[in-house]
Amino acid sequence: MTRICWRMVDIVSRALEPAERDAVRGDLAESGEPAGEALRDLLGLVVRRQAALWKDWRPWVALVSLIIPLGMMLSIVSKFTANQSATYVWLYANNWDWALLKDAGFWREFANSVTFVLANCITLVCWAWTAGFVLGSMSRKIVPVYGLLFCLMLVFGALLVAPRYFAYLVQYIDRPVSPDEGDPVFALAFYRVMFPLMVQAVLVAVPSLLGMCQGAGVRRIRRPFHTLLWVAATCALVLLLIEEPGFGIFLRAQWLQRIRQGRVLQPIVYWPVVYLVGNAIRRRREGNATPARI
Amino acid sequence: MLGEFEYLMLTAAARLGEEAYGAAIRQEIEGATRRRCSIGALYTTLDRLEAKGLVKTWMGDPTPERGGRPKRRVRVTAKGVQEAKTFYNAVTRVSRGVAWEANRIAV
Repeated sequence: MTRICWRMVDIVSRALEPAERDAVRGDLAESGEPAGEALRDLLGLVVRRQAALWKDWRPWVALVSLIIPLGMMLSIVSKFTANQSATYVWLYANNWDWALLKDAGFWREFANSVTFVLANCITLVCWAWTAGFVLGSMSRKIVPVYGLLFCLMLVFGALLVAPRYFAYLVQYIDRPVSPDEGDPVFALAFYRVMFPLMVQAVLVAVPSLLGMCQGAGVRRIRRPFHTLLWVAATCALVLLLIEEPGFGIFLRAQWLQRIRQGRVLQPIVYWPVVYLVGNAIRRRREGNATPARI
Repeated sequence: MLGEFEYLMLTAAARLGEEAYGAAIRQEIEGATRRRCSIGALYTTLDRLEAKGLVKTWMGDPTPERGGRPKRRVRVTAKGVQEAKTFYNAVTRVSRGVAWEANRIAV
């Protein structure tokens, strides 16, 4: 228990500035406080520090203009992706027959399904990562609270907003977008309730939190590259608005409709892949260039 | 005008002199008030006092008894001394003649 508490102290103290973290951890070590009390003390300090950041106007603007809308949109897109993928997962997982492996037609169909599901999942992960990256790059200090609020918005979006949005959207398009309980796939509670939440946790919450951590360190990057990243992230988020299910329908502008249908800007959505690969290569080169410590 | 906790911190830091830093100030306050002093209250108040120019803080050298971590050292500024005096004088004046003031001398 004590070891777990000290581990928690380690994790929680990361929310503090490095200099303050050292001073506080040193005070705790010197005073010989029990782990539980140390953790309580540290939590108190972190909460006070995070609360103090909200005296500024910028976090409030970020909350209203980014965290709430992005959380809502991503929960809707996530639910849409989960519903589309559920049919394929159900098809193979719940109706598996080993004899299918000998059928050449099955393999062709299987490859198409996997490509379709994977493409949707990667697109969703990239959008979620981009949203996290933008939030993280705005303020490094406030990232823990942004992360918590963003996850709360995702839960709220998944449970309340997405179902209502789909019900509203049905009025505008002539095909059902929300799962029909009469459908054999969505008759199963797993695909109707659990699967969308799992998709949201794995493909939205985790990548967005990772994106926040990456975004928090972006201030160290040189100015032109920093601007380029912001342009790519902004374009990707605009595409989230105009491309995904039904958002474009409410945007009546013809040129936006053409972008949506042509998907000409689609590659921009995958900029996080380029960024992460580029970052990994750079780090490896820097690692090779640094002489080994003796 | 200082707050009560701010005054306690300034007084503790002034009493400790060269040895004033987070853990020592905390111990001093706990000893005087016989109440627990949280690290959150200590460090946020320290920041506030520094922002008002009443104390100056800096990071000291790492020490082994603190797991190799540095101390946040504190020094009360001239303005801090003046503010503490003002607070003390106000408390002394307002306490003159009240029951607990008379009892304090008896105790």
